[in-house]
Amino acid sequence: MRSDHSVGWGAVDDGVVERLRSIVGAEHVKTDDGAVAAFSRDATPLFAARPDVVVLPGSTAEVAEVLRLSTQRRIPVVPRGAGSNLAAGTLAQDGGIVLVLTRLDRILEVDADELLAVVQTGVTTTELAAAAAAHGLLYLPDPGSKTVSTVGGNVATCAGGLRGLKYGVTRNYVLGLEAVLPTGEVIRTGGRLWKDVAGYDLTRLLTGSEGTLAVVTEVTVALVPAPADSRTGVAYFPSLADAGRAVARVIADGVVPATLEFLDNKCVNAVEDFAALGLDRSAGALLLFGDDGDPDTVGRNLERMAQSCAKEGATGVTLAQDVAASEALLEARRCSLPALARLAPVTVLEDVGVPRPRIAEMVGRIDDIAARHGITVATFGHAGDGNLHPTAVVDPSDGGAIDRTKAVIGDIFAAALDLGGTITGEHGVGAAKLPWLADRLGADQLALLSRIKAAFDPAGILNPGKTGS
Amino acid sequence: MSGPSRELPIVPRRSGAVDEGDHGVHGRGIFDAGLLDRCISCGFCLPVCPTYALEKDEQSSPRGRITLMRALEAGRLEPDDPTLQHEASFCLGCRACETVCPAGVEYGPMLEQWRDHQWRVGHGPAPARWLRWAVARRLPLRLAGLVRRFARTRARSVDPDTPHVMLGCAERVLFPKVSRAAVALVDGADAPAAQGCCGALHAHNGDSAGGRAMAERLGRDLPGTIVTTSGGCAAHLADALGRDRVVEISEYLARSGWSPGTKLMTHGSHGHPRPIRVTLQDSCHLRNGLGVFAQPRQLLEQIADYVELPSAGSCCGAAGSYSVLRPRDSKRVLAPKLAEIEALDVDYVVAVNPGCLLQLKQGLLRSKVKAVHLVELLSQAAPRQ
Repeated sequence: MRSDHSVGWGAVDDGVVERLRSIVGAEHVKTDDGAVAAFSRDATPLFAARPDVVVLPGSTAEVAEVLRLSTQRRIPVVPRGAGSNLAAGTLAQDGGIVLVLTRLDRILEVDADELLAVVQTGVTTTELAAAAAAHGLLYLPDPGSKTVSTVGGNVATCAGGLRGLKYGVTRNYVLGLEAVLPTGEVIRTGGRLWKDVAGYDLTRLLTGSEGTLAVVTEVTVALVPAPADSRTGVAYFPSLADAGRAVARVIADGVVPATLEFLDNKCVNAVEDFAALGLDRSAGALLLFGDDGDPDTVGRNLERMAQSCAKEGATGVTLAQDVAASEALLEARRCSLPALARLAPVTVLEDVGVPRPRIAEMVGRIDDIAARHGITVATFGHAGDGNLHPTAVVDPSDGGAIDRTKAVIGDIFAAALDLGGTITGEHGVGAAKLPWLADRLGADQLALLSRIKAAFDPAGILNPGKTGS
Repeated sequence: MSGPSRELPIVPRRSGAVDEGDHGVHGRGIFDAGLLDRCISCGFCLPVCPTYALEKDEQSSPRGRITLMRALEAGRLEPDDPTLQHEASFCLGCRACETVCPAGVEYGPMLEQWRDHQWRVGHGPAPARWLRWAVARRLPLRLAGLVRRFARTRARSVDPDTPHVMLGCAERVLFPKVSRAAVALVDGADAPAAQGCCGALHAHNGDSAGGRAMAERLGRDLPGTIVTTSGGCAAHLADALGRDRVVEISEYLARSGWSPGTKLMTHGSHGHPRPIRVTLQDSCHLRNGLGVFAQPRQLLEQIADYVELPSAGSCCGAAGSYSVLRPRDSKRVLAPKLAEIEALDVDYVVAVNPGCLLQLKQGLLRSKVKAVHLVELLSQAAPRQ
């Protein structure tokens, strides 16, 4: 499949660069060695590749012109938002154009009556959330990278976050999209309607398609009234598996909390090094639980969750006193991954998911795999929705460590699939996980993905070497 | 049709391989070993970077610049690559990125080492070389300061506990009132005239070895505790001499329990007396480098009605020599802040660093809001002895 497109790409020659300059303006086309080198990475370790040219369009019409040219000349185009992707999804490993969408950064509309917002693709998730909050509304998806990541990037990966269990993920809040096909046509899918079954659900198909089918330029999202109260608590356990069992107990006891996150001892210490919140560094694991709604319900649910944790052997439980303290805890949780970088030069993060009742089992298997290969793995994740982020913390100067890390990752994927899970919960397939996609989908479904890809993108120029390729 | 390889490719570009994915880069030896490895390119620094806010362009972000530094170290970019030259100079060096970096990347030292290379002999911007030369001359500095009547005591006190007020190179010439007010506020302090520049300007402009040597010399000129009215100097001195040797003035006064006689008053719109309204612009290196930001606020709340400037923690564009080297960009960084200050309806905006003070004074030339140094207001409110 990949070999179909990886040969015979059109060259980015002077004529192409001249055309690109005439489309978006000379100052928005970069070809200097240094300028393109800066766009040679996203947030994925061990992956990098320099594009031939970086193009920053300022409008949907300019995106369409660039794509039309690229299809004509068979030049790869890699759409990119903030470049915080964790699966090498914005990497130009075939060279060509990196299409940076951060100039499309306008919030077009927040409508409190219709409970929706319309934004351009390059608006950050936090900017959208702040605009909604100014109207007393809440944008629910909150990926860990929300201060950086763009809404377009969130749509491309169907980003998740800390509220998955109760509220779902990005796909549950995308009402409509404006997107440009690789052949240059501009389509509008969905719209301002909660009910709309006219045709295939292209909105959902594009959400999570990693920029391989079309370039999303504008997003209409659903908002909800902001809850009156939102609070969290922390429970400590001897081990991560114990915390995993407490998750099952919390749900069994009748609460579906907004947030249920856990961190192992290594993560707790790395986070505490940065955030200094007074977390218990000696605990084997930390479970962060939280809920939102009217104050009485929130208080009652927090008490119930604290009791559930105690029943499962929590060694200590504390409830945050106010929203600010709760937000500090969530903030600390969001920085788990980069904080782990304090431990070693390379941190290879994974993103597997398992059915919630299998969490404790999965955590045990991760420990076994890490021990077998002699690699340190720190694990944190969204315990409530079964999405785990085992992170290999590696010193590459330790001979063979990178190879053993690859073996760890392969084994973790196999374990997740064995337990009825997936190879990626929210980060996407990208170039990093494409080799394992067939294991998750099977040959027939993978072939269907290829046919869908070909229908959208006959020249195969959009984000080659990623999901669906 | 063979399936794709299950190897995680370290150099995955399939044609004309050029790769930036280095870890443990040891190439040209421009950067200290390990310094570049900490960054995992998560991008958490992007939203707080003033130059990224201006350009919305990866290369003008801390993460992008670190990618460029890695390419430089690994030899994949030429030492005089124009993007490297541009970005080494375009960065304000405000270190706001360090405060939000969960990985603990030390951007400040990285930038110093980058500029040591980029602005090595014969390569740096001419005004940077001229400035470095000028502040390193001790006698002309003293003479210029004398003309401007900076605070000075003839000789250094022999008592080892006497705090020494640092006069600064720019400050003693531009704002001599500041050192006079500082000496009045610090009980028993002296301010020996025989002291040079701290070398911060050297360290930030491509000569970190020279900057360190000057700091060490100042440390010998002023043994014991050095009290400074400049956040930028404080951070540089603390780095060279040790944190315990250096106390920034707001830190000193807050620690010693300074309290005013009364709030400073002015006349309101109907002639009724009211407390003055003030806001504060942080010094980047004081806040981001030394973690001092609560203290000046605490002092100001005692003498005035204090209003927080929303962008107080973000650079004003002065950035040491930046306003001289890149005047246009310096003004672009400052512009939104001026609008914020005007909207607050304050009497004064307070600075804790001479560079910021000059920048704000120039920006507010035609405004009714006055820019002053913290100690100028504090000394007015100090109880008369």
